[in-house]
Amino acid sequence: MSRNFILSSCLAIVMASSVATSHAQSAVSAPNWQAGVVLDAAATSRGLELGARDKGLGLGHSDLLLRGAFNEHFSGEAILGFHTEAKKLEGHIEKAWVQTRSLPHGFQARAGRFASQIGYLNELHPHTDDFTERPLLYRGFLGRHWYDDGIRLNWTAPTSFYLRLGAEIFGGKKLVPEATTDSTSRVSTLNLKMGNDIGKSSSWQWGLSHVNNRREALVEAHDASTEAHSHAASFSGKRMWISDLVWKWAPDGNNRNQQLRLNWEYAQVSGINRFADSSMRHRASSLGAVWKFNPAWEAGVRTDWLRVHKPEDHEGDLEFGRGRLKENAIMVAYKPTHMQTLRLQLTQQRASGANDEGEAVFANPARRSIQLQYVIGFGAHGAHSY
Amino acid sequence: MRILTNAILALGLATASQAHAITVFACEPEWASLTRTLLPEATVQSATTHLQDPHHIEARPSLIAKLRRADFAICTGAELEAGWLPMLQDRAGNPKVQSGRPSMFFAAEHVDLIDPFKGMITPLSGDVHAYGNPHVHADPRRVLQVARALALRLGTVFPEKKSQVDQNLIRFESEMGAKIVVWEQQARALKGRAVVTQHASFGYLWPWLGMKSIADLEPKPGMPPTATHLDKVLTQAKAQQPIGIIVALHHDPKPARWLANSLGMQSRLLILPATVTDEQPGGIVRWFDQVFMQLSSLSK
Repeated sequence: MSRNFILSSCLAIVMASSVATSHAQSAVSAPNWQAGVVLDAAATSRGLELGARDKGLGLGHSDLLLRGAFNEHFSGEAILGFHTEAKKLEGHIEKAWVQTRSLPHGFQARAGRFASQIGYLNELHPHTDDFTERPLLYRGFLGRHWYDDGIRLNWTAPTSFYLRLGAEIFGGKKLVPEATTDSTSRVSTLNLKMGNDIGKSSSWQWGLSHVNNRREALVEAHDASTEAHSHAASFSGKRMWISDLVWKWAPDGNNRNQQLRLNWEYAQVSGINRFADSSMRHRASSLGAVWKFNPAWEAGVRTDWLRVHKPEDHEGDLEFGRGRLKENAIMVAYKPTHMQTLRLQLTQQRASGANDEGEAVFANPARRSIQLQYVIGFGAHGAHSY
Repeated sequence: MRILTNAILALGLATASQAHAITVFACEPEWASLTRTLLPEATVQSATTHLQDPHHIEARPSLIAKLRRADFAICTGAELEAGWLPMLQDRAGNPKVQSGRPSMFFAAEHVDLIDPFKGMITPLSGDVHAYGNPHVHADPRRVLQVARALALRLGTVFPEKKSQVDQNLIRFESEMGAKIVVWEQQARALKGRAVVTQHASFGYLWPWLGMKSIADLEPKPGMPPTATHLDKVLTQAKAQQPIGIIVALHHDPKPARWLANSLGMQSRLLILPATVTDEQPGGIVRWFDQVFMQLSSLSK
């Protein structure tokens, strides 16, 4: 997609959104359609292993968004995502879906291209993340942010606490672009979300998801040069479990001035490959804490690890290289308004593990990387999802 | 997969057939109180309290669950809840509370708003409300307009409650009408006087009472006070001699305290709840009483 096309679309949407806001007096509470643009620029001292940002100045996950309701029965959203990769601007249609708004009994169905609701972060917009890169779990197993073409059915229970059961079926080509299995094989998910408040000041949410992946990834030849930033899963398998827990605290529930947010996620992938030992697992975990200590300032720490068995084709022989990666990050962010974030982050990586030839599975861990990130939104800003 | 789908269907049908009292979801406590005034038997749950900044609410799981079970929802609108209500509506899977439906009521649609934002909104304009100040509950005359519209709507959505709602509206109108006269009298000595405020939380009070807000502690709407901006406010305040500094309970009190100390007017700093502290019927009247008691202390 050409740079000009994306830039002119940005401009068109910004103009459309400002026109829409200034002439929509009649619809004080429910403007039917909203448009917005989010730009995420960062300067990186050193690219991270499994990271999305190149060394130097680059555009991270930025997008152009249009969302609204078609009528009382359907709503929809379209997002055009773009970022720079090796100094080139790349664009892709990230979301284009339609969802029901009038099904009875708490049911909702969605079809089109959208982000899977597995895990905590996956369905959230990456530009609202607390750190400059997604956790290793997402970078290793989900191509950072897994969106795909598919359908979803959710049911929200009429209970006093939040309980949602959901099922999704995806084509899976975004997760595993090239599969050994036939092209009609799909990836499906089952997920559970529950949550509630504890007193006036704290709240929690727990999720459990299962991914049934019928698409077995094509194993790369040993000496194949890997693409700089893969948007697909770097490590996959037949089955994946993800458990995610979020706990937030703010004095009297007023998160305007102070808030503590804790987030833990754990994922395990089995059935790595038909030739792999059935006990082999990929595993990853992420634990993060963010402290908003002032209306405009936040500080956070995150610790991640990833353990994988990387299948490699050595002239017809399939071998599995054990790789381990650890990552620690600390950040401080300044958020003067909803629309802007300036973040400084320090990230350290350590890698170990090698294949049978003694070559490291993760060859380029960043011993130290400093990132300065600036996120700015125009037009409709994303809602404060939990 | 099939077992799960069947189980979901069975559970969904079982819960749908249960008869229950009218459940109302209110975005803010003032509307919870107003709904209880008109329809006392309803089960009303407020999503926020006077201790929270209504702009900065997250679409928490507990709020999704509350909206899921609501038969009726009442919110301010005018973008006050733009950061969280659409997400709740999207997640709740409840057709009744989708915008555009009669059982989704927005108070700001039924009154004129002051201070609409003129010009082009950019990310540097702050968290502006294009349609105008959404904190309409700080004007009792507008609360009456909202009450009339709400009564009409409740009567349409729940026809069997119409006569009861109408009676309660008449009672509320006469109580508020009498109180408005009292409050206006209490505030007569404040006419023409200046105050320093934070955000437009009490914005509707000043034009009503003939007062002026000469400076805002926020450099831009929704933007926390900065040191340079506070210096500017201090200079302005020294020149224009405000009689008080008024901020909301949910604001960070430090900037207001600093200004009060710098001006030597510690006793003239009012930290008031920006909305009703009591969601029971009549809570709005008691909140205005509380606000006026404190405000009239400034006239001395």
